[in-house]
Amino acid sequence: MSLSLLAPGALALGLLVALPLLAHLSWQRPRDRVAFGAMLLMERVVKRIQRHRRVKDPLIFALRALALLALALAAAAPQWVRAGVLPDVGGSGRVVVLLDRSLSMKMADGGASVFAHAVAKATAQVQALPAGTRVGLVAVDGQAVALTPSLTEDRATVVAALGALVPGSASTDLGAGFREARRLLAGDPGEVLLYSDEAGANTVSAARPELQRLLAAGAAVLPQPVREGAPNNVVIRAAIYGDGLEGGQVTLQIAHFGPEPTEVACEVVLPDGQAVPIFVALPADGEATAQVTVPREAEGGVGQARCEDAALPDDDTRYFHLPHVGASRVLVVDGDPGDSPARSEVYFLEKALAPWGGGQTGVTADVVPPSGLAKLDKTKHRLVFLANVGDLRGVGGRLVDFVRGGGSVVLSMGSNVAPRVYNDELSALLPAPLRGVRSLAAREEAGVPLQTPTSAQGLLAPFAASGRAGFGRVRAQRVMTLDPYADTDEVRTWLRFEGGAPALVEKQVGRGRVLLWTSSFDFDWTNLPVQAVFMPLIQAVVAELGADGGGRAERVDAEVGGFAVVPLPGSGPEPEVFDPAGRLVSTTRQGGALRFPVDQAGAYRVAITDGPVTGWVAANLPFAESDVRAPESIERAEVDLDPGVFTEQVELGGWLLGLALACFALSAWLARAGGSA
Amino acid sequence: MEPAPISPLDSEALARVRRLHLRARTLTDSLLMGEHRSRRVGQAVEFADYREYAPGMDLRALDWRVLARTDRLVVKRFETETELPSTVVLDLSADMSTGHAGRGKLPDLEGSKAGFAITLAATLLTFLHRHGEPVGLELVGGDVIGGVRSFPSRGGRSHLQRLTAVLATARPSGVARLEDALLEVGRRSKRRSLVVVLTDGMEEPSAWLPSLGAIARRGSDLRLGLLYDPRELGLSVDHPALFYSPEGGATLDVDPVAARKVFDEVVLEHSEEVRAGVVRWGGRFTRLSSADPLENALRSLIIAGGGVR
Repeated sequence: MSLSLLAPGALALGLLVALPLLAHLSWQRPRDRVAFGAMLLMERVVKRIQRHRRVKDPLIFALRALALLALALAAAAPQWVRAGVLPDVGGSGRVVVLLDRSLSMKMADGGASVFAHAVAKATAQVQALPAGTRVGLVAVDGQAVALTPSLTEDRATVVAALGALVPGSASTDLGAGFREARRLLAGDPGEVLLYSDEAGANTVSAARPELQRLLAAGAAVLPQPVREGAPNNVVIRAAIYGDGLEGGQVTLQIAHFGPEPTEVACEVVLPDGQAVPIFVALPADGEATAQVTVPREAEGGVGQARCEDAALPDDDTRYFHLPHVGASRVLVVDGDPGDSPARSEVYFLEKALAPWGGGQTGVTADVVPPSGLAKLDKTKHRLVFLANVGDLRGVGGRLVDFVRGGGSVVLSMGSNVAPRVYNDELSALLPAPLRGVRSLAAREEAGVPLQTPTSAQGLLAPFAASGRAGFGRVRAQRVMTLDPYADTDEVRTWLRFEGGAPALVEKQVGRGRVLLWTSSFDFDWTNLPVQAVFMPLIQAVVAELGADGGGRAERVDAEVGGFAVVPLPGSGPEPEVFDPAGRLVSTTRQGGALRFPVDQAGAYRVAITDGPVTGWVAANLPFAESDVRAPESIERAEVDLDPGVFTEQVELGGWLLGLALACFALSAWLARAGGSA
Repeated sequence: MEPAPISPLDSEALARVRRLHLRARTLTDSLLMGEHRSRRVGQAVEFADYREYAPGMDLRALDWRVLARTDRLVVKRFETETELPSTVVLDLSADMSTGHAGRGKLPDLEGSKAGFAITLAATLLTFLHRHGEPVGLELVGGDVIGGVRSFPSRGGRSHLQRLTAVLATARPSGVARLEDALLEVGRRSKRRSLVVVLTDGMEEPSAWLPSLGAIARRGSDLRLGLLYDPRELGLSVDHPALFYSPEGGATLDVDPVAARKVFDEVVLEHSEEVRAGVVRWGGRFTRLSSADPLENALRSLIIAGGGVR
């Protein structure tokens, strides 16, 4: 809405407003004196008139000034440009119906869905178009589809196509819809009737370039109202498992798009089927955070959080990743029970795995002597620590099978370790044959420090942000040396001592992994157990090697309507992908990853045939569709691009002239009616 | 020797109303015979009312017809006709000197309300005298030769001549102070007499109207003529002017054309306020215009409670 003046110079006539003021100032007292016997009555008259004048005189002055201003404005020929005027439909004879069938259109609205309203209105509009009008139909969600190959006068076809449409679960790409509409119009002028709730924070802004092209081609986009009630929806914006190595909480971030506060019943369902209910109070048009404590033992995989919301049930479930929680899957073989904690590898390992004690959080490891290796349970244990174990008779083959089957082993050295025994029993697991113990410094000396690692991936991921310098404070007086080896796809050296001696070496064996620490986990050979890097390093080892599948299961998030890309293991058979319903999904290879389309929300499982799960994909619906409020509008964007559209010019000169005359008449009547004194 | 003052009497008007008969609304206390009914019931000729017979009453007064018809003993009562002491109270405050269309007989007061009021008072006193009533005069405000303002009602031609002479020389001046003046008149007036007040009432009515009670409580027949100049009735001044009162006070700058409508309302309210105050005390109210024929004013005052004989 704007105002323009064709003859702004005429506003100078506004100076006439000074005339009534001058007239008032130039008023003079009369000279005649009249002896009057009824002054009692005259005083009453004056009092009464003055009561009126206190209100009336300023009113008369204002009316006269307003009249003069109105005259001056009328002379300036003002025009009022009124916005928001939608033209009648069908005037161009070429119409494209653009129907939004995205997820948000499923929102309940007055007993039906917004989509149902849109279809009904579009159908009625098509049937009401003037005879001879050529019509096309485009359906749009994440992509646009022209349901008529070209514009047609066969309305029955268009109406039938409208009736066959169903809403989907994808986001809204209005730009694609405009592009398809422009193609149907073949670059000629026409009208695009848009039936969309325009929901989503960026739905409109993303469509602006195509909208501009459409307008430039001479077409007009006429948004049609599709929603009857106020937008309202509850959606779980995020569900994230966190806090601690083992155990913790799932944090739910729940958004509410509605005018009234509400309370919803929610539930977190873990991968093993455990359900944790919760009620969440939500503010109007706001968010709330809720936390659900995960039981001490829970299977890893993809869990789901869901809230009851009748407005848009499709987006009420959010899928999230959950690691294997709580089960005592770590077996520590204590090869050197020390006479004091400082001489006990197990003491330091237990402290690193459960810093606050096993009664709260963390991993409570099963600790056994070397003979206890017979208790190794492949279905339970995922990781075995061999801490300074010297006696490996009869268990080598068992360990190799364990690793090849997907388990992992961490070897730490010490005075009990005999290189010959290890080379004999565990040759398949060692990244290189053990050569012998090498003294780097005297016991009373500080020892040789570790090199600060240059990368922070995999096992060193906890040090990505900071803490890598702490490795430089780890010193060793003795190490187990290895025969020369080279890093390959299967062997990787994570840490080295100054001088180049290997410190932490990993080897992929079958579906499992072996990690070799060439020094000890107690004070015999090194100061590692009391360094800041010890605890996060051990926990990262458990998280990486102790996971299902003998290695870390890849955890990938994806959005319905898009693609998921899952990194592949470095070696071994190529896994397959199964959708939430268990059906095999067709995939393509993209470098070292598998790529596949995500067409439904839920947990996609990546697994080797008859083998462990190597990855999980948590697929969720696009959040943008859940924000049903439509913060922007196509109509406004269209006005921004073409200010002349949807406007009507109104000449105000006549109205102002009438106003001036009315003001003059009213002021004259007021002046005449009450008199003055 | 000073020339005799011009008589304010309007003989022509007097002649036209000579046949009017003033009838008092109240019964007089006078013992002298006259035209008016007396509150004393006796053996005069005019029937008054009936009363139940009581032992000791004069049996000659029994109404035998009623006895025969109703078998009840009642006696007839009769009134005695007496004279009516009358007093004219004349407002001669300075405001009364204004006006332009008054029909008075005094040349130096030509056109004024005072001229009209003096002529009216003199003619009314003469009318009453000729009908045998004792007459008196009370002057409120004004300049009076000799300073005597109060003349109790008396009969006799010489008394009337004296009153007429006083009226011929009295001139409007000063402030009336009606509130005090009317209280004083009430105190001095005779019981059950006729009191005619001629004033323009240009003092706050709520202040002086209660003073009429002093007259009314004496049982008098109170009649008040509220006198306006035609200009005061229609504010017939056609140009803006500075209006002032001869009695002093503020000067008001007024556009009469614009204020006329409001003024008419105010005059009506003033007149109605005075009328209500007079009626409240049992008196009779007459609005007078100094431009009206004197005969009309006389007629209004005389027949307000009586009629033409």
